[in-house]
Amino acid sequence: MPFVKLYANLRKLAGTKEVPITEATIGAVLNELVKRNPPLEDVILENGRLRPHIVVTLNGHNVIDFNMQVSEQDVIAIFPPIAGG
Amino acid sequence: MAGWSEKILDIDLSKKTYKTYPLDMEMARLFIGGRGLGARLLWEMVGPEVDPLSPENVLIFTNGPLTGTGYQTSNRFSVSTKSPLTGTVLDANSGGFWGMQFKKAGYDVMIVRGKAERPVWIEIKNDEITFHDASELWGMRVFAVTQKLGQNNNKRNVLCIGPAGENLSRIASIMNDRERALARGGPGAVMGSKNLKAIVVEGKERPAINDPERFKFLLYETRKLLAASPLTSQALPEFGTVVLMNIMNNIGALATRNHQQTQFEGAEAISGEELTEKYLVKNASCWACPIGCTRISKTEKVEGEGPEFESTWAFGAQCGIDDLPAIIEANTLCNDLGLDTISAGSTIACAMELSEKGYMDSDLRFGRADQLAPTIEAMAYRKDVGADLADGSLRLATKYGHTELSMSAKGMEMPAYDPRGMQGQGLLYATSNRGGCHMRGNMVGPEVLGLPKMIDRFQVQGKSSFVILHQNVSAAIDSLVVCKFTNMGVSDEYFARVLSSVTGIQYDTGELTRVGERVWNLERMYNLREGFTRKDDTLPPRLLNDAPTDGPSKGWVVQLEPMLKEYYRGRGWDENGVPKPKKLADLGLAGL
Repeated sequence: MPFVKLYANLRKLAGTKEVPITEATIGAVLNELVKRNPPLEDVILENGRLRPHIVVTLNGHNVIDFNMQVSEQDVIAIFPPIAGG
Repeated sequence: MAGWSEKILDIDLSKKTYKTYPLDMEMARLFIGGRGLGARLLWEMVGPEVDPLSPENVLIFTNGPLTGTGYQTSNRFSVSTKSPLTGTVLDANSGGFWGMQFKKAGYDVMIVRGKAERPVWIEIKNDEITFHDASELWGMRVFAVTQKLGQNNNKRNVLCIGPAGENLSRIASIMNDRERALARGGPGAVMGSKNLKAIVVEGKERPAINDPERFKFLLYETRKLLAASPLTSQALPEFGTVVLMNIMNNIGALATRNHQQTQFEGAEAISGEELTEKYLVKNASCWACPIGCTRISKTEKVEGEGPEFESTWAFGAQCGIDDLPAIIEANTLCNDLGLDTISAGSTIACAMELSEKGYMDSDLRFGRADQLAPTIEAMAYRKDVGADLADGSLRLATKYGHTELSMSAKGMEMPAYDPRGMQGQGLLYATSNRGGCHMRGNMVGPEVLGLPKMIDRFQVQGKSSFVILHQNVSAAIDSLVVCKFTNMGVSDEYFARVLSSVTGIQYDTGELTRVGERVWNLERMYNLREGFTRKDDTLPPRLLNDAPTDGPSKGWVVQLEPMLKEYYRGRGWDENGVPKPKKLADLGLAGL
């Protein structure tokens, strides 16, 4: 089952570090995630698209298309706006 | 003219004398302050014949026209010198409070030259300069010296070296305000070579502002912008810089075990989230900073500032160590001894690899958290194994016949970002004028975080234009001087407007970036004069030839050569990386 991993303040909002979600595409995974964890919606999505500076990766590669297919062993990571150096 | 004090303090330690004279204001207009002004003065004062640890080298402390004005993060200052680590031009800059106090003392620049016969410390109270005997302070650690000399954040500020600087470690830092650091490239060794233990400043002058009403408005606007940005109002204050650990690991660009891997299985255990949950006592801020990214962390053994992301990485992933308390303690120990954490951690990692492969006879091993503190101690005092490590990884690896195991560029240890997963970062390291560094522009913004917009981190073609822009903007910000984190909420345009309101000279964004380009080219010319050539614009062979065998960066090496050619063209340099006469003339650098 694909896992969604959450980082930084997303963990506090969702009350967990990771969420197993079985959906076929990245877009469907994100929609299911915010449906289960409503506080995340305003932070991650805006009019059905990613908010500025939200980084979503699929197995470590940047997600650029919500239609990207998700398979059984995949890991989706979501990072809120972060900075440092 | 408002913004600048228009005064240079020039100290000769050999004679224990000082003089003051006016700052060349045309030079100030062209190079502003901080790093730019420091590089310009260094060009005149320190040539190729000068050994970095000889009395002929100088320390040039500079602030900028914004320093001490109260503009957000206007606390920073620089020191410029010839680096004893790399032999290149060097500036290191630091936050805290000392820079603001130095400006209030009435100087734009302080040059320290010569060598005192015996250890001294200097006290500056505006026009009153006093040389004190430092015999009792010599040998003392940074925290003790800072306390003894009367550190008081807003009134009296202490800058000093620790034992590492006294013992001429080429990775020694200069510390200010107890735990802020002019860290990289070994400026602490230059200060130690001059028998100068500390500089204490108390200032009374308020920096003059040309248009106070406009300045006040921009102050208000900047406050709003920083409060509105999730980066400066949430991410940095809540988790500090260490929050980068998980994302760099996730994308396969977290250098691990001396860059042998690009992902660390212990990343979560040393992440910003873990630090915040278990070890954070409170946030702290530099002077006039509303962001407050500084962590005050506590373990059973220590309580202090930090650690920052790079320090946590250097003692963590780079050494294969996932013990966060040990990393926090290593960071505090480096601050107390006056050592650069990035170079110290990466040098220990280099020694671990040399030892594991049987090239070096020591028991240092990846993952051994218990070895961090004793090795750092040994480095600062040049004892036992530390004698080999005190001068950085390149000299260490060369001594044992495996130069290729030093993860450095131009001799300076690179920070956390493994450039095999970030092609632009590779070009940035290879072309950085002070060596492997993430503060000369940092491609983590566009290549990883989507700041200001996400670009493909594996893309090669066209990447040089981003690197050039970041390098130029970085040089401009370092010359103002403000904190680069401000730029995450406030555009360059604001900096130009603030600079104009403070100085009365009209700068626009283009002119500010052009100052950065001027500084970059001057630094390049300095390095060329020192004998550096195109062949020095390179990276360790591991990054050019050995692709990771797993993770998101699997199969990638840094495609340096095509990026470098494009970079030289984009810079207006010839195929050997030498700025063309027309470029120098366009930048007002003709005749160099």
